[in-house]
Amino acid sequence: MVMTFMPFAVGIMDSELRQLLAQVAQGDRTAFARVYDLVSGRLFGVIGRVLPRAELAEDALQETFVRIWQRAKSYDPAIASPMAWMATIARNQAIDLRRRSAERLSASSSELDETLADESPDPESQAEQAGELRRLSDCMAGLPSERQQMVLLAYRQGFTREELAERFKRPVTTVKTLLRRSLIALKECLDGTR
Amino acid sequence: MALDETLEAMAGEYVLGTLSASERLEAQTLLSQNTEFAAAVDLWNRRLAPLLLAARAVTPPAQLRQRILASVGQASGSGNVVDLAKRVTFWRGFSLAASAVAAALALFILLRPTPEVAPGNYVAVLQPEGPGPAFVASIDLKDGTIRVKRLGNQAETGKSYELWAVGGGRAAPQSLGVIDASLKIPAGTLGKVDPATLNETVFAISLEPQGGSPTGAPTGPVLYTGKLVATE
Repeated sequence: MVMTFMPFAVGIMDSELRQLLAQVAQGDRTAFARVYDLVSGRLFGVIGRVLPRAELAEDALQETFVRIWQRAKSYDPAIASPMAWMATIARNQAIDLRRRSAERLSASSSELDETLADESPDPESQAEQAGELRRLSDCMAGLPSERQQMVLLAYRQGFTREELAERFKRPVTTVKTLLRRSLIALKECLDGTR
Repeated sequence: MALDETLEAMAGEYVLGTLSASERLEAQTLLSQNTEFAAAVDLWNRRLAPLLLAARAVTPPAQLRQRILASVGQASGSGNVVDLAKRVTFWRGFSLAASAVAAALALFILLRPTPEVAPGNYVAVLQPEGPGPAFVASIDLKDGTIRVKRLGNQAETGKSYELWAVGGGRAAPQSLGVIDASLKIPAGTLGKVDPATLNETVFAISLEPQGGSPTGAPTGPVLYTGKLVATE
């Protein structure tokens, strides 16, 4: 049996965010400002991995908060934690902008960040998602390292198949096959441990 | 019932953001028509989201706070366009933008017909997810013409918007033409669309190189999707 210890403050943050999102859904600007103060740094971190250029990242953060404001009504705590919901919006806005602006990371970029092991996340976020992240990390660890990197580069940094093909010196069709096999393996692993 | 492995992998790649432009369009069509596929996409969002939460926090510039707080609540709708959008589920409203860009697969209607649309015609409102113009495509079944009305900003220079029909039994997205500077698609193009398939057809607009897709399939980001509604 595994026990997960969650810092008290994290639980508070999660329930505070739920409460705040409910207020934002009613058009409460003070609550919105409080959400901004609580999560903008973490969302900007998510965006920065996709968009290293500052002005694009700032635009993506703005779009993200506009979206949070507009969609707070549809937020459902039964489906995702407030942070997972907002981080997904931020990631999607960033990738949207990355594709539109055709910003491409060069293969030599020092910003590349394709392993889980190298991460030293905020203690806060680490604890908050400890269970889910650990399960996902364990399943990712079951993939060959090249495939782990491909999945992470695509999901966290917005790499397309073509960019992955270039970086890993593989044909695009091979990348597609490897990504699909990885996803199916991840699904089987995650669903099996649920 | 579980999806077959190909669709499951497609749902996963959709969330991962690695589908090609035409596969993405296919996925967006499936999302609107296949609840199992939509559920699979939702699940992939949930499975992968924890990867985002390990990101290190980066403090945004201080002046951004004011700009962002001032920017919300002022966005006005497009006047006579109403978002019936309750078809947009929890994740999907933005997971489309995610995997690439764009497009709420929401059904939109016009509260009242635009003046240039005669009764009995059909209208598709193609609404962007991100910043960018909305389009109203009105289709006259009698002479097979499509008129496109743009609400909002200009296209990027050096690019063209191209209209596609997807689904409705088509094996691949079918080009309906490139939207020209006068926002029209030359007459006769809709003649290729079987009216019997209109209800199942999703219309999409992609951003292509000037003059339209060089390959016959969408190559650029899919910026808009929408379905037809009668306007009487």
